[in-house]
Amino acid sequence: MNALIAVIIGAVTVYLAYAHYARRIDRNVIQSDPKRATPATLYMDGVDFMPTNRNILFGYHFKSIAAAGPIVGAIVAATLWGWLPALVWLVLGVSFMGWASDYSAIVLSVRNEGNSLSAVAHRLVSPRTRTVLFLFIFFYLLLIAGAFVGIMAQVMDGQPKTPLGIILLVAMGLLLGQMLYRWKMGLLGATVITVGITFLGILLGPLPAIEGTFKGFNESLNTMTGGAPIVTYFDPTLAGFKGAEAKIMPSLLFWAIAICLFCYAGSVLPIWRMAQPVVYVGFWITAMAMVLGLLGAAVGTFVKPEVAQFQIPAFKGWNPQLGPAGIMPLWPMLFVTIACGAISGWHALFGSVGTARQIENEADMLPVGAGSMFTEFLLGLLALLAVSVGAKGAPVGAFANGLGGFISVWGVPVQYAVSLAFAAFIVIVLVVTQLIFRVMRVTLTEWLGEVIPPCRNQHVASFISVALAILLVLTGTWIYLWQLFGAANQLMAALSLLLVTVWLASVGKDWLYAGLPMIFMYLTTVASILVTAYNLYFNVYQPNLVAGRVIPVVGSGLMVLVAILLVVAALFVAVDGWRAFVRYLRRPAPAPGPAPARG
Amino acid sequence: MSDEKKPKKGGFLQVVKDIVYGMSSHEMTRHAVRSRASMEHLFILITMGDLLGVPILPPYYSLRLLPYVTPQISAWKRRMLRERDITDTLG
Repeated sequence: MNALIAVIIGAVTVYLAYAHYARRIDRNVIQSDPKRATPATLYMDGVDFMPTNRNILFGYHFKSIAAAGPIVGAIVAATLWGWLPALVWLVLGVSFMGWASDYSAIVLSVRNEGNSLSAVAHRLVSPRTRTVLFLFIFFYLLLIAGAFVGIMAQVMDGQPKTPLGIILLVAMGLLLGQMLYRWKMGLLGATVITVGITFLGILLGPLPAIEGTFKGFNESLNTMTGGAPIVTYFDPTLAGFKGAEAKIMPSLLFWAIAICLFCYAGSVLPIWRMAQPVVYVGFWITAMAMVLGLLGAAVGTFVKPEVAQFQIPAFKGWNPQLGPAGIMPLWPMLFVTIACGAISGWHALFGSVGTARQIENEADMLPVGAGSMFTEFLLGLLALLAVSVGAKGAPVGAFANGLGGFISVWGVPVQYAVSLAFAAFIVIVLVVTQLIFRVMRVTLTEWLGEVIPPCRNQHVASFISVALAILLVLTGTWIYLWQLFGAANQLMAALSLLLVTVWLASVGKDWLYAGLPMIFMYLTTVASILVTAYNLYFNVYQPNLVAGRVIPVVGSGLMVLVAILLVVAALFVAVDGWRAFVRYLRRPAPAPGPAPARG
Repeated sequence: MSDEKKPKKGGFLQVVKDIVYGMSSHEMTRHAVRSRASMEHLFILITMGDLLGVPILPPYYSLRLLPYVTPQISAWKRRMLRERDITDTLG
């Protein structure tokens, strides 16, 4: 197997699923009508509701949904089960479920006056569903934040070639905000300066003097405790997933706190000052890495065959053991480990509030919603290729080595290409994490502000969010966090498909294309949450309780609690959803009146 | 509408340009527009809040501002009265 064959499989998948399945559903079931007015045209306020060109909207939606999910998920899955199950799930997931979830969430919102999923749930299902959905979203964000901060801290600590580029990225983001909004400089000039300096910083990272400086800095931090770890825990991902004793050293804690401080600043500062400019500079870095990598993967087979050959086994087993007491059955765990490249709840959530309100024409819903999902599938495929050809190192390291190999096809020395790949990975994750902390801050303020007035203060709300994420990171077991996040994410997708199914039933349309994936994802994700809770309890909670280690016990206990709450929330929504579904099947809601004409 | 102009279709390069703009700058533009809209809406709320039932005694100057504000009133009312929830912050 080599990268070219996988790229061809990906291209054929996209063509078949889009042209022969998605278009058919759009034409026959949804019956999108270019003459029907959309919320963007009906309620145009120039702000939230704004008709936007489909190409711009495609770029906007794709960039907003493509985060670390398709990358980290594919890396972990290929490492656990081999590349074949990961590839099969990516292909089948996106073809029958992923595009349906993304596209349908946009359709649901467009056909319901641009309302968010929670508002539609309130109207179609029950008020309780909306409350449960909010609770669910908060835990979901908390899990993403914890998982992402943990992963980034490990890369920044373990790869001393990476921090310079990231520090410069943040500095250049701040400078860009100043240039654009205070000094009123032109976008092109400001972009060239800030992206150029960041890129230079990334390339300088592997120089021995720079790498040695950060290595020395980490070591000096570690001498503060005399080389003793802050937390010791059992990490089942070490030693080829057989598990080994792992230590959280002061340097790792330092980088985790540094990342959280960055996210805290991104959360409380005006959005133009930091969050947006950093995202903008980061976009160009990741775009460069991804475009060079994807093209390199395609031509590498001919130009540099050694970088395009798969090196990890196709299949590693149905139930690889995770540590001494953990289980990792392919079903359900594979289906939550790879989330975003196959199907993701985040896309539905974002599509309903961000993209749907800018859809100019119903005919744009398919290319924007489904088209973006298929493009993200290609990103997941690239991550899978990278980890499959670059077998050296831990999962993230293997990804960076693989992607670096693809980029090196263009004549870039491998060490610089790998540095760029590491930086691109961090940038993708960082950008999403700071957005998540901002949303968590708003959520906490809205929820607790009435009951606990100090929570109305943005610093207090941000601090609580950051502290919770740090606590999860200190358990050290990011693999559980990732899988719990994956399960929450997929459950979100199932909830979105549930709403779509209920809506389709309510308007008397064929609901099977959304209902069948919903049932599969519902059962799979609830089962996976229970498996993760089991693993957490027997691999982390119990041994650390016996050993008397407080932090891992508190952290894993918190995660088990979150897992139980997720299952309870899912059951509530399922019961309410079922009742509403049966109600509408028996007595469909009156069909909406004739569509208001455009123009 | 018979005199409606058909959107001009660009070539491949225009499509690429639009997509890159959508990925890199559209979000920044939206945030800038939102910030401006928030300030404008706050201003209208302070001066014309009685239109929404906020108990503000309209001063003389509100009347003088009215002709300038009138074109924005319907969008302003819709935006102010629209139900929102936490997921709106994502978009």
